[in-house]
Amino acid sequence: MQMPEPNPAILSRKADLVARLRKVLPEGAVIDDVAETRAYECDALTAYKCPPMAVILPGSTEEVSRALAICHEMGVPVVPRGSGTSLAGGALPTADSVILGVARMAEVIETDYTNRVIRVQTGRTNLSVTGAVEEEGFFYAPDPSSQLACAIAGNIAMNSGGAHCLKYGVTTNNLLGVTLVQMDGTVMELGGAHLDAAGYDLLGLICGSEGQLGVVTEATLRILRKPEGARPVLIGFDSSEVAGACVSDIIKAGVLPVAIEFMDRPCIRACEAFAHAGYPDCEALLIVEVEGSDAEIDEQLGLIEAIARRHDPVELRQSRSAEESAAIWKGRKSAFGAMGQINDYMCLDGTIPISQLPHVLRRIGEMSKEYGLGVANVFHAGDGNMHPLILYDANKPGDLELCEEFGAEILKLCVEVGGCLTGEHGVGIEKRDLMAYQYGPDDLAAQMDVKDVFDPGWLLNPAKVFPLDASDARRIA
Amino acid sequence: MTPETEEELAGIIKGADGPLRIEGGGTRPLGRSSNAARLSTARLRGITLYEPGALTLVAGAGTPLAEIAEALAAEDQRLAFEPMDHRGLLGTEGVPTLGGVVAANVSGPRRIQAGAARDFLLGVRFVDGQGRIIRNGGRVMKNVTGYDLVKLMAGSYGTLGVLTEVALKVLPAPRCTGVLRLEGLHDADAIDALCRALGSPYEVTGAAHLPPNEGGAPVTLIRLEGSEASVAYRAAEMQALLAGFGAFTLDTDPERCAADWAHVRDVAPFQGRAGDVWRLSVTPSHAPAIVADLPGTEAIYDWGGGLIWLLVPEGAGAGAPEIHAAVATRGGHAMRIRGDRSRAMFPPLAATVAALQDGLRRKFDPRGILNPGLMTPMETP
Amino acid sequence: MKTEFTAEQLADPKIARANEILRSCVHCGFCTATCPTYQVLGDELDSPRGRIYLIKDMLENDRDPDEKTVLHIDRCLSCLACMTTCPSGVHYMHLVDQAREYIEARYRRPLGDRALRWVLARILPYPGRFRLALLGAKIGRPFRGLMPDPRLRAMLDMAPKRIPPVSRNDDPQTFPAQGERRKRVALMTGCAQRALNTDINDATIRLLTRLGCEVVVAEGAGCCGALTHHMGKTAESHATAAKNITAWTREIDGEGLDAVVINTSGCGTTVKDYGHMFRSGPLADDAARVSAIAMDISELLMKLDVPEGADTGLVVAYHAACSLQHGQQIKTFPKDLLKRAGFRVVEPADSHLCCGSAGTYNLMQPAISKQLKDRKIRTLEAKTPDVIAAGNIGCMMQIGSGTTVPVMHTVELLDWATGGPKPPAMDQAGPRLPAMAADGNSGVPVLR
Repeated sequence: MQMPEPNPAILSRKADLVARLRKVLPEGAVIDDVAETRAYECDALTAYKCPPMAVILPGSTEEVSRALAICHEMGVPVVPRGSGTSLAGGALPTADSVILGVARMAEVIETDYTNRVIRVQTGRTNLSVTGAVEEEGFFYAPDPSSQLACAIAGNIAMNSGGAHCLKYGVTTNNLLGVTLVQMDGTVMELGGAHLDAAGYDLLGLICGSEGQLGVVTEATLRILRKPEGARPVLIGFDSSEVAGACVSDIIKAGVLPVAIEFMDRPCIRACEAFAHAGYPDCEALLIVEVEGSDAEIDEQLGLIEAIARRHDPVELRQSRSAEESAAIWKGRKSAFGAMGQINDYMCLDGTIPISQLPHVLRRIGEMSKEYGLGVANVFHAGDGNMHPLILYDANKPGDLELCEEFGAEILKLCVEVGGCLTGEHGVGIEKRDLMAYQYGPDDLAAQMDVKDVFDPGWLLNPAKVFPLDASDARRIA
Repeated sequence: MTPETEEELAGIIKGADGPLRIEGGGTRPLGRSSNAARLSTARLRGITLYEPGALTLVAGAGTPLAEIAEALAAEDQRLAFEPMDHRGLLGTEGVPTLGGVVAANVSGPRRIQAGAARDFLLGVRFVDGQGRIIRNGGRVMKNVTGYDLVKLMAGSYGTLGVLTEVALKVLPAPRCTGVLRLEGLHDADAIDALCRALGSPYEVTGAAHLPPNEGGAPVTLIRLEGSEASVAYRAAEMQALLAGFGAFTLDTDPERCAADWAHVRDVAPFQGRAGDVWRLSVTPSHAPAIVADLPGTEAIYDWGGGLIWLLVPEGAGAGAPEIHAAVATRGGHAMRIRGDRSRAMFPPLAATVAALQDGLRRKFDPRGILNPGLMTPMETP
Repeated sequence: MKTEFTAEQLADPKIARANEILRSCVHCGFCTATCPTYQVLGDELDSPRGRIYLIKDMLENDRDPDEKTVLHIDRCLSCLACMTTCPSGVHYMHLVDQAREYIEARYRRPLGDRALRWVLARILPYPGRFRLALLGAKIGRPFRGLMPDPRLRAMLDMAPKRIPPVSRNDDPQTFPAQGERRKRVALMTGCAQRALNTDINDATIRLLTRLGCEVVVAEGAGCCGALTHHMGKTAESHATAAKNITAWTREIDGEGLDAVVINTSGCGTTVKDYGHMFRSGPLADDAARVSAIAMDISELLMKLDVPEGADTGLVVAYHAACSLQHGQQIKTFPKDLLKRAGFRVVEPADSHLCCGSAGTYNLMQPAISKQLKDRKIRTLEAKTPDVIAAGNIGCMMQIGSGTTVPVMHTVELLDWATGGPKPPAMDQAGPRLPAMAADGNSGVPVLR
């Protein structure tokens, strides 16, 4: 993975930079000891690491603004970091960059149940936003699998989704306002507790911009009242094709479940061994969940079961208790951990049209044999967002490269069938070099034009998202 | 000028030697007017993909909304954001198109639950002011590949580019609609009731409050959609929840319900009446206080109070400064939808935000030929 | 994660074990969400993931520990909330214990640190010496302000107002079961607890004998070794642990034991780990046998017939000690037992977060410990309980030092509900609580 060469002029000014940052930040907020910066050399994509020149941990918007202004003046690139859970290398530093971590800004600023919004500092974890409002019976809807640990800042940067987004939308559909600090230190407020933008939808533009347009320090988020109840149904099939057809039929029938999750045999086996949820040993498994009152749930599940039966499932089991529901979900939610206990793996994130599911799974199976690497598939069937887990051995030389090659082929396949490279994880560095496969030169230029407007010096997280050769002229200008 | 293909459109823009006025169906002349040459997308029409099982539809920007609605209805699906039809309020004719709806981010009462047009966009193709043909997004719901220019295009009123194709997420149409109705609530109580309703677990898809018409009483409306059993259950729970405000009555007649909400969606009470019409996006619980600050005006509340339509008769003490002042202290913004189109109609912007907007416009339309001046913000009070 | 140990390094069984653990970590970061020091400090280096990374770097490169690495590892509470959270099954406890041993062997701490740690290791595990020290602390408390080091000040602050007289119940002896003898169990009487609070063992003995257990305090048993083990002083911890293993094995091979029961959960975690600690030595088998029957008092009680009690109307806020909920993965037993006995059980928010006691942590890291203590007390008091119950003496001391709500051991309440006397702590409110500033968690302690 190519990263730009660090700028020697910047490296030579490290001491000066650190001294100036220490003047505007509290004690303990600037880390430059080589033994310590190492811990920030990567996020959850450990294949690529590079210790930054320094790390700053500001505690307020004001401190972020002052620190960025200094870095801007000195031409130092800045890489924002939430909880460092990115699987795409979104927070990977270069040796001449400063990591700006937002973990010390994690307060709830205000909850407004009447207007159903909450204002938080963006270092707060996703799940603890729900934690702040659940006693009143509310929740924050976007629920990525890493929600326990991932920060709202990262959610906004990557426009994170989750199993519930089939019904409730992703981050950009639940984000109402931000405090944005630009690279030169300018602080601005966008949006608020009202729904429409006053001019251009800058919020929509910032959400998903992977920390390249500005640092978001505060956010106004929609909170929703929790439904009265929820219940999953487990449907097992002896073919993924049939499972895919069943998903399609459920949607066509007008039922809108809150989540539809899919797992294939390798994944089912690993999860069952780990979580003992009572999964059948079959080719494909669907977990479909609906919400509402008990009667509403019964009605919806009745419809779903009728549809499922038309496809001759090998297992069809509604949960009959809260414990059973928890067990059914526990298996799915522990998929990554369960696989991890068996093997090293690389988790991909592509989206495909649902109708292409059988074809794509078949092709992945074929490629798996070609590459000699096993694949377990788990994904959000309702919206076609796939997470193939490619199994490899991190300690075996050459395996990682093979794995990456295989992964790239899968993502290209996703694009070929009308999908896209990434549904939730973002581009980061992981898919940067595949961007030209999905977008033409003008498409990419238009996106880079936007960055020119927000960060003309290309100092914020510069080596991500856009292929290096495409962004060369603008980064080095 | 009415190009038939995207390439033709790009050619026109590249070769343009003066300002262009972009038009879909011409039903929605919003923002400052100009006498620029008319460029229409009417011939860039047709549904190119529709997969009901994937909730996906792709169509040319010039496709009439009616055509799309019909295709969707045949599969018991719909555009859940129920875009407003501006013709009645603005007194225009023409045929609303998909591109126009997206360009103006048009939505309706269901925005509070389902979202606006921008929340249903999966991908766009457009030609920018340089004549570049640009694609962003795709046709799948989960897509975070690069920047989201789809959201940027929505609500940019053709000032950054001309939409040629749009990919949309569609949703199933529910089998049954129920409308709860109560007459006689004052604004503050009505909004209080609507806030409570929206904070309940009973999934409200419409929450509006209408002023009295000709000696009648104000009307508060709450919409519930779903199966018959579900609507009946939720309506009963809602009636109990809001009993303190009065006895909401339930109507499930499909035609009357549809008419009720079209009435709200298209701002029917202000159609054919003299006066400017303003559109305020505010924090719901503050809406009554804002309206109370503007005597002489008439207000329709939608989105549980988050959207205020204001009719400002001539001579009423409420002009732009008063309206902006009422909103500024409480958060939100105000736009003049119907009024003197020679003056700016869009909400004022903070200098830092305006700078970003100007920067984006310079990038996508360096010559300043696409709907120039249309989105000029009003003066900051 | 990928690791880079040489074959030579991996020949050392300790490194091999470390490599196993490091390979299982996928660097996902879930552990940061439940790590108390990460919540307080917001620094990756003070999270389990960061510490794992530092340890990996240190061991792979066979480096002498540097000051920063030691600082961050010293800050670890060993609360093990990370182990509960980790989806990959990383055995963080074994890794950090090994790192502490490594640091103790290869890092020369500043003189003051070494002296302090030496003193703690020489005093805390020995009840006689500890009692004297507590007496000294009582006398020295007025001179607190003269103490130059915040840790010394913290020690003076921690000394309880009441130092109980020596309890003869802690001497080696056998307490017969009341009525039919159902089980024979060894009670670990421990070390620090004996000097601080004799009510807990008294209540335990009463309750167990009442329920048909013959309770033996084995000759030769004493400190379990946890305190010194967590300082990395493995020679000393193994020495005291070996004494316990010998003492209890004698009982197992003698009249037999159904359980070794421990009522300080911090110790219970260590005793259950004896099998792993001694796996490569001559005591391996005996250690494994002892670990196999080691039980927290709540585990044992679940196996006995604790009679159901009528509603007492008393609201008990249950504080889940880290060593119990994370170290031993016992989360529901104490609550179930309390409910069954007739108490109304409530739990504080964020119950997975440590109170900051963590062995000697409240003495060695007073700033962080105080932040965690304040948080914990705030969440407990928010439930307006009549009493606070916990299963670990360290937590009881920590929480008790900052609240007026009576704090006692779970077993004392259960003893009371089944016929024992009212717990003495019921009538002793803690110190008057000073008005707490709303410090939230945005304040970061000033670091050395």
